[in-house]
Amino acid sequence: MTGMTIAQPEKIDTLLPGLDNEGLARVQAETPSKLLQEKRAAAYADYRQLAWPTVRDEEWRRTDPSLFPLAEMQRLPDLAAQDVWTAHPWDAEFDVVVAVRPDGFAIRHQNHTARELGITVLPLAEAAATRPDGVEPYLRGKALPTPSGKFEALNDAFWNFGLFLHLPAGVQWERGLLVRYEMDQPDSLLIPRLVVVAEPQSRGMMVERLQSPDDIRFMAVPQRELYVQEGADFKLVSLQEWGLNSYQVSNDWGLAERDANLNWITLNFGSARSKMKFGGDVAGPNSAADMDGIFFASGEQHMDQRTLQIHSSPDTYSRLLYKGAVKDVGRSVYQGLIIARPGAIRVDAYQTNNNLVLNEGARADSIPGLLIDADDLKCSHGSTTGNLDPEQLFYLRSRGLSEAAARRALIQGFFEEVIDRIPQAVIREQVHQHIEQKMES
Amino acid sequence: MSTESTAILDDYKYGFYTDIETDSVPKGLNEEVIALISGKKGEPEWMLEWRLKAYRWWLRQQEPKWAHLDYPPVDFQDICYYSAPKKKGEQPDEIDAELAAAFERLGVPLQERNHLAGVAVDAVFDSVSVATTHRETLAEKGIIFCSISEAIREHPELVKKYLGTVVPYTDNYYASLNSAVFTDGSFCYIPKGIRCPMDLSTYFRINALDTGQFERTLIIAEEGAYVSYLEGCTAPMRDRNQLHAAVVELIALDDAEIKYATVQNWYAGDKQGKGGIYNFVTKRGHCRGERSKISWTQVEAGSAITWKYPSVILEGDYSSGAFYSVAVTTNKMQADTGTKMIHIGNHTKSTIVSKGISAGDSVNSYRGLVQVLPDAYHCRNYSNCDSMLIGSTCSANTFPYIESENHTAVVEHEATTSRVSEDQIFYLRSRGLSEEDAVSMVVNGFAREVFKQLPLEFSVEAIKLLEMKLEGSIG
Repeated sequence: MTGMTIAQPEKIDTLLPGLDNEGLARVQAETPSKLLQEKRAAAYADYRQLAWPTVRDEEWRRTDPSLFPLAEMQRLPDLAAQDVWTAHPWDAEFDVVVAVRPDGFAIRHQNHTARELGITVLPLAEAAATRPDGVEPYLRGKALPTPSGKFEALNDAFWNFGLFLHLPAGVQWERGLLVRYEMDQPDSLLIPRLVVVAEPQSRGMMVERLQSPDDIRFMAVPQRELYVQEGADFKLVSLQEWGLNSYQVSNDWGLAERDANLNWITLNFGSARSKMKFGGDVAGPNSAADMDGIFFASGEQHMDQRTLQIHSSPDTYSRLLYKGAVKDVGRSVYQGLIIARPGAIRVDAYQTNNNLVLNEGARADSIPGLLIDADDLKCSHGSTTGNLDPEQLFYLRSRGLSEAAARRALIQGFFEEVIDRIPQAVIREQVHQHIEQKMES
Repeated sequence: MSTESTAILDDYKYGFYTDIETDSVPKGLNEEVIALISGKKGEPEWMLEWRLKAYRWWLRQQEPKWAHLDYPPVDFQDICYYSAPKKKGEQPDEIDAELAAAFERLGVPLQERNHLAGVAVDAVFDSVSVATTHRETLAEKGIIFCSISEAIREHPELVKKYLGTVVPYTDNYYASLNSAVFTDGSFCYIPKGIRCPMDLSTYFRINALDTGQFERTLIIAEEGAYVSYLEGCTAPMRDRNQLHAAVVELIALDDAEIKYATVQNWYAGDKQGKGGIYNFVTKRGHCRGERSKISWTQVEAGSAITWKYPSVILEGDYSSGAFYSVAVTTNKMQADTGTKMIHIGNHTKSTIVSKGISAGDSVNSYRGLVQVLPDAYHCRNYSNCDSMLIGSTCSANTFPYIESENHTAVVEHEATTSRVSEDQIFYLRSRGLSEEDAVSMVVNGFAREVFKQLPLEFSVEAIKLLEMKLEGSIG
């Protein structure tokens, strides 16, 4: 808050190799659909005009954008549908599985359920080419509650893996979709674009698993857009397990219309440095958003997450619970904001962020915020930052648990509130393992 | 200079203007004006040099834009940086009758009065300090309480030692400006082991048109000393915006305690948002000694624009800082206010209680920072920021920053925003209270936690002020 000048950090050059005029021409040549070509061209114009964020921007003050090695990455050519299938133990839990690898992706229906229900899981390019009228309305960035930034524009112009998921009105899809990324090409740049449309009264769910090996450098700039229409209910679980040399800048948006429910769970364990932004807009009366998150930064990891709970309609509800731990010299940043737009009355919004700082050298910043432009509402936030409660530790020790076992029990317990909300047992188990591993490392 | 009639006075009872002869410097800011101000105050050479250094630094800075405020740019060359009432009396100690009458209307007794005998007052009119009461009683105990200009002349060694050590002239845009042009303010020094026998108080008033007020207050509590300090502010009603950029520095050594309370009621502009004071203030306390305590209590009821973050740097081990605030905004007022608690020492504690009340078309933001440095062990912070909304066109924002860099720290923050409870209003109405009285009672209950930190006279005044401010904003 001082007026002192901060040295301007070195900017990432505005036009990066591969993400410039030439790059665009190459991308356009790969793009079959005229609609997408137009969208990419428009996004590229924005991308060229927008400045790269710097630490002088409030949103990036705690996560220096110049430390993301974007300039040294090679954008992967547009991923094409190919036979890159390898089996995965989780596949049996879902009706449809999408496997994404550096050299292509495969969409596999495990059974006939999705087809029988009329659910569409298609590469975005194919969907835009075969049914432009069905896709076009969702490519306008309508779910975007705030003006597009540099990374959003970059994704819009240069995405190299696109997926379109469409649930027709009234379908109840229990087992849902698994999208698993297994990226192992060094110095590659993956720019995934995901568009989900849940038509009125439908119900569905999807899980993402993002993986790369620890020993390669890799970067991802994902963007996900969810349109949950009248009375629909959609849940997305995103398990981020990128390797310890990977980087991610993601921008995700959800729009819930009248009576709709949007539920988003982010589980962040991987990457060297990640910046996540998620905005949920409860845009129709009686719509609700539930946002839950776990993050655990150990070693030298740096995790920055920003959430927006946007209430642009009266009688809307949102609840957010983000729980994080930092260990070793790990660092986490949580920035949350509840926004009540003018006229958004009878709103009920809650935001909680709890941080565990497990040892000397670790650091957790918590910046909850309220931006309220309406009356007759109830908005609140709570934030705590601290180490494990010594009294609870003492109690467990007195019951015969070792120091390490007592600490583990308390930490697992701390996260349990969020873990409970994950629908699949295999993922809950995976989360437990991650926490266990991080505690032991 | 035109005389504004006191008849236009409606809800702002301090909106009168006193027609007195003034001694002013020309409008605008440059090194000559600074030298002129310094000369008028009979300052030593080192003080002028310090001012010039601050001015040169200020020239290189930009106005901060991060606050959630919206106002037209301030023309710093269109401000008169010094205005003093001309002395008419023969003896310098005698207070000008018109001035005394003006302060009388404000409820500040310059001549010692029985009912307020417990408060020593330093009154600042535009740019100069006009009187300081109870000096002898204080002097007996070795307490120095005088205007800062006098302190620069009479106690240069103390001023030199402490001035700018909490808020350096490089601190921020407005603090730099203040360091260059500050005109008056209070200086208070409590020697080792002394408990100040009465509350000390300063009363600030902006009177002349187009003047800015740049006061500088410096309070030092030596080992084991205690002082409670009160500050009040008002200004006449004018169509033009006026600038107030003060700097307050508090220094508490081992076992010392400073309590600083402000009731700020600068003119806030009319219903259309015309006129009013721009209040850009830097207030900071430094708990230098072990077990020292500093508390800020503020009732912010005035000003068109408020930019103010009374802070505490907790350096001494076991020191504690507190911030209690009630900020009321009505009509078109905008306030961005809060605190910073910087934990440097081990076992330091801080408490933040902020109550924001917004009505009309106003914007009321809390912005705060709690920072625990890496080698500060066993620190504790508790923050509670509640906002109350009255009316559908106002807004209330909360921007807390929590930076915990030590694993032994426990930091808790809670905030809520809601409208005046209809159930409570209904209950009070059913007991026969009018709508306005009911709201006033609920609001007072909401702000009670802060009011009870104020000395009695101030607390009564603050409750009245709140009632007056919120009159007509219900319905």
